[in-house]
Amino acid sequence: MTAFLIRRVLQSVLTIFGVLTATFFLVRLAGDPAALLLPVEATDRDIAEFRRALGLDQPLPIQYLKFLLSAIEGDFGVSLRQRTSALGLVIERLPATLELALTAFVLGIVLAFLLGLAMRLSNSPRLRAVIMGVALTRQAIPVFWFGLLLILLFAVNLRWLPSLGRGTIAHLVLPALTLATYELALYLRLFNSSLATEGQQDYVRTAYAKGQSKVKVLLRHMLPNALLPLITIAGINLGLLLGGTVVTETVFSWPGVGRLIVQSVSQRDYPVIIAGVVVVCLIFVIINLIVDLLYAYLDPRVRLS
Amino acid sequence: MIKNPSLTTAIALVLLTAVVLLVAVVPLLPGYDPYTQDLAGSLLYPFEMLEGKRSILGTDKLGRDVLSRLALAGQVSIVIGLCAVTISMFFGVMLGLIAGYFRGWSESLIMGLADLQLSIPRVLLLIAVTAIIGSTVVNLTLLLGLTSWVAYGRVARAMSLTLREREFVLSAITQGASPIWNIRKHMLPNVLPQMLIVGTYELGAIITLEAALSYLGLGVQPPLPSWGLMISEGQSYLELNPWLSVLPGIALFMLIAGVQFLSQAFTSEGAEDRRVSSNLAT
Repeated sequence: MTAFLIRRVLQSVLTIFGVLTATFFLVRLAGDPAALLLPVEATDRDIAEFRRALGLDQPLPIQYLKFLLSAIEGDFGVSLRQRTSALGLVIERLPATLELALTAFVLGIVLAFLLGLAMRLSNSPRLRAVIMGVALTRQAIPVFWFGLLLILLFAVNLRWLPSLGRGTIAHLVLPALTLATYELALYLRLFNSSLATEGQQDYVRTAYAKGQSKVKVLLRHMLPNALLPLITIAGINLGLLLGGTVVTETVFSWPGVGRLIVQSVSQRDYPVIIAGVVVVCLIFVIINLIVDLLYAYLDPRVRLS
Repeated sequence: MIKNPSLTTAIALVLLTAVVLLVAVVPLLPGYDPYTQDLAGSLLYPFEMLEGKRSILGTDKLGRDVLSRLALAGQVSIVIGLCAVTISMFFGVMLGLIAGYFRGWSESLIMGLADLQLSIPRVLLLIAVTAIIGSTVVNLTLLLGLTSWVAYGRVARAMSLTLREREFVLSAITQGASPIWNIRKHMLPNVLPQMLIVGTYELGAIITLEAALSYLGLGVQPPLPSWGLMISEGQSYLELNPWLSVLPGIALFMLIAGVQFLSQAFTSEGAEDRRVSSNLAT
C-alpha cells in the first residue's frame, strides 16, 4: 500500500508541475506579455518598466523558475481589473463551485439509486425502457443546452424556480439537476448490471431459500454490494463534474470559479485565468488522488496492478 | 457496415439524414441568406408573415433568417468536427502505435503525456488556450484536434501490444523490415477499423465541446453562426421568442444523438466491443 501511495502522490505532483509548465509556455507562446497585459495607450517607457517589473528582461529558464517558485507560494500576480490578488479572487469564488459540484454529485447518485431501484423492482419492461430512454436522450443534450431547457420550463414558463444567481436552496436546484443528470445513463447501466451480477450470487439464493421476500433481499443483501461500484465511478467522475461546472455556472450566472474564468477571458485578465485554471486542476488532481487511494484501500486488487 | 439494422441504427440514420438535409439542401433553396440584416423584421416567430414575406423558421434579433443560419451553422459545426476528428485520429494512432511498437522510454513519455492531459478537464484546457491564442475557426479546429488524441492513442497502444507479438509482424522484423514500414503495412491496417469506431464516439464529444465553447463566446465568432452561439444569442430572448434558442438546440441534439447512437451501434457490433468501451471509459 505504501508503494502505491508514494507512486500515486508522485504522479499527482508531476501532473501539477506539468500544468504549471504548460501554462507558463502557453502564455509565453502567445506573445509578449507586455503587449497582452498592458493597456493599448501604454508608452514605451511603461512597457520597459513593466518588463523589468515582471522579470521579462531575464533569460527564459530563470523566468520559468521564478514563475514556478511564486506559483508554489500561491502568487499568480494581481488581477488587471480588480487590482487585488488573482488567487484571492479565485479562492473567494471556490465555495460556490464546490457547493454546486458536491450537490450535483450526491444528487446524481441518489437519482441513479432511486431510478435503478424502480427499474429493478417493477415488472413492466415498458417502464424500464422509458427510464433508460430518457437517460440516453439526456446524454445527447449538451450541459449548457439542457440547463437552458430547464430555465425555459421551470423559470420562464412555470415560474417555480429562479433561473439566475445563488442564494437559497431554490437557486441550487436547476444547476445541480443539470449537472447531476449528465452521467445518469452511465450510472443506471452500471447499477443495473451490478444488481444483476449480485442477483446470481450464492448468498442471494441462500436468502431466498430462507424465505425472505424479494424486496428484503434486494435492500438488505444486494444493495450494499451493488452500491460500491456506483459510488466509485461517481467518485472518479467527480473531477469531470468539476469541469462541467465551468459551463453550467455561466448558464445560471452562478458566481463560481468557472464563471470567473469565462468572465476573465472576455476581459483579458490573464493572471485570474491562470490562477483559476491552476486551482481547478489542483482540485481535480487531489480528488482523483483521494478516490484512487480510497479505491485501492477498499479493493486490494488495484494496488497490485 | 450495418449488418443487422437494429432500432438504434434506424434512429441514428433518421436523425443524421434530417441533419444532412438541413445543412446540404437548405442552402440550395431560393431565399437562402444567412447574413442580410433587416431590423424592421427582427425576432419574427416561425411561420410569421411580414409584408407578404414569409419567414419559415423566423428571424433573429438582427432580422436574419433563422433557417439559413441554422443550415450554415450546421456546416460550420460538422466541418470543424470532422476535421478535428481527423487530426486527433492521425496523431493518436501515430503516437499509440509508436508507444506500442517501440515500448521503452517512448512509451513512458507518450502514455505519461496522455495521463497528464486526462488530469486536466478538457473544457478548461480549451478555454485557457483559446483565451491566450485567440479563437479563429482554424485555431479552434486545431485545438480540438490536438487535445483529443488520447482515446485513439490508448486504444492503438493496447492493440499494438498484442499485434507486435503476432507472427506476421515478427517475421517481417527478422527479415529486416524497417519499423516504419512494419508499422505502416502491418500494424496500421489492423488497428484502423477500431480507430473509426473510436472516431464516431469522439465526433459526438467534439461537436459537444465546440458547441459549449461557442456558447461561452470562445468558439466560433460572429458573424459566422454556430449552433452553440445561436443558443447563446437566443438566451436573452427566452421570454420573447424561445424558438431562437430551441431551434438550434434541436438541431444540435439531433446531430449529437445521431452520432452517439451510430457509435453505439458500431461498438455493439464489433467483436472488440468490451476492449474499446473499457478503454474509452478511462
